[in-house]
Amino acid sequence: MTGYDKPLPKLNSDTRPFWEGCKKHELRFQRCLGCGHVIWPSSIICPKCHARDTEWIVASGHGIVYTYATYHVAYHPGFLSDIPYVVAIVELDEGPHLLTNIINCRVDDVKCGMDVTVVWEDVTPEISLPKFSPD
Amino acid sequence: MSLKDKYAIVGVGYTQQGSVPGRTSLSFHLEACVSAIADTGLKKDDIDGLICYRHFPASSDENDLTPFKVAEHLGISPRYIYQDANCSRSNLQNAVGALEAGLCNYVVISFGHNALSSDSLFYLLDEFSGDDAVFGHFGATGGYALPARRAMHEYQTGPDTWKHIAVGQRKWACLNPNAVMYGKPMTFEDYMNSKWIVEPFRVPDNCLVNDGGRAIIMTSLERARDLKHKPAVIMGLGAHHPCLDIKYATAMAGPTGAKKASEEAYKMAGITVNDVDACEIYDCFTYTVEVTLQDYGFFEPGQGEDWFKGGTIEPGGRMPVNTSGGQLSEAYFMGLTPLSEAAMQIMGRCGQRQLGPKTKTKEPEIIICSDNGGILQSHSCCILRRL
Repeated sequence: MTGYDKPLPKLNSDTRPFWEGCKKHELRFQRCLGCGHVIWPSSIICPKCHARDTEWIVASGHGIVYTYATYHVAYHPGFLSDIPYVVAIVELDEGPHLLTNIINCRVDDVKCGMDVTVVWEDVTPEISLPKFSPD
Repeated sequence: MSLKDKYAIVGVGYTQQGSVPGRTSLSFHLEACVSAIADTGLKKDDIDGLICYRHFPASSDENDLTPFKVAEHLGISPRYIYQDANCSRSNLQNAVGALEAGLCNYVVISFGHNALSSDSLFYLLDEFSGDDAVFGHFGATGGYALPARRAMHEYQTGPDTWKHIAVGQRKWACLNPNAVMYGKPMTFEDYMNSKWIVEPFRVPDNCLVNDGGRAIIMTSLERARDLKHKPAVIMGLGAHHPCLDIKYATAMAGPTGAKKASEEAYKMAGITVNDVDACEIYDCFTYTVEVTLQDYGFFEPGQGEDWFKGGTIEPGGRMPVNTSGGQLSEAYFMGLTPLSEAAMQIMGRCGQRQLGPKTKTKEPEIIICSDNGGILQSHSCCILRRL
């Protein structure tokens, strides 16, 4: 038992490559070989051009806060001791928008547009979560 | 061929609403449908179309609720049935489409939910949140807080704009004895002093959680003329479904689906925003009202605060909005809260909240309504007029 009491992601053939990357502390995304679009969430087709051939790239881990929400209530007992906490959408330099948490700063200091970099939380032997911290 | 002025809402069904413990969601559907049918003067066997608003996970003490169940208990066997699964808000379009194609003649659109008194919402939260829960992101309040915050970044908006919506709608609710918030006035100070749920949303930025149901009956204008009430005629319809999960969206601060949907509806109706007398807007959150009215053309991004200021949307105001109290202060029945209120206002059946001399507002010839699903993923716009 891990003692980790928050929800864990569901792994399936679409999502597993991303989470396997996370385990190695890499943010992996598909890039379309047809049009160059960075595909997220991962898929069997490119939503821009419907090409099926892709390559995997590793993102730099840097981005900006596109938007965020500050939770003052816990909808799940695992988050009770975290409130208030920030859920954010980070726009990565490579393009994808990633739902995540902003950590290592006061919730009132989070702003749209602020520069952030990935920090990894190894929550189980299989799952590492990409969270973000101000630069 | 245009659908303008061909179909109408001809009846509205209400139920007990608010805190009504000990009732199933099915029972609210049935009460709403039976009330709506009685409201038209039709017989149950006339009803040959049934559309139920979305399928929810059942509460732990109730079986799965489907249109089969609703029809079975109503004792009808329709020629057309439909239910959406995930808040894709095409119910009105489906009803009009089925009528236009001759698939049926009288459609009931129904919603019922024991949301307050059962555990159904807990199951919904789980289903709705998916892997977002990994990062502590749950439900619709967090979902809409993200675009609301982005809008605050892109232009001037925030609690100082939204307080006018929450307080204005509460004033309408205080004229509506059926409203959950009837007799519970709210000031700007009350709004500003209320607790954060998911910032930037406080408690009164959120729609109500309540038990109850609502239904409407639709038919052709031709058939409508034989029924009890003056019909609320559909003069314009439009829809746009951006579909993108909000976490991947880049149009959080507008234009949302409301823009294209309203353009299409104005075009069909042959009117502009200047012809609208009142608005019944899907108001899951205060911000939804702002961004919808903005996309409908009432003001430019960032001008919302000035537009709302001074009681614009309140009784006596120049553009009444959500005159039952809306989902923020009357009761939440998905798109049927705004649509049923618009129909009742057009029919002139709203008692002390009736638009016109009673509330020092313009008598409504034309009302624009919205329905919105997911997190700004689905939008439907309907323009109703008096015959």
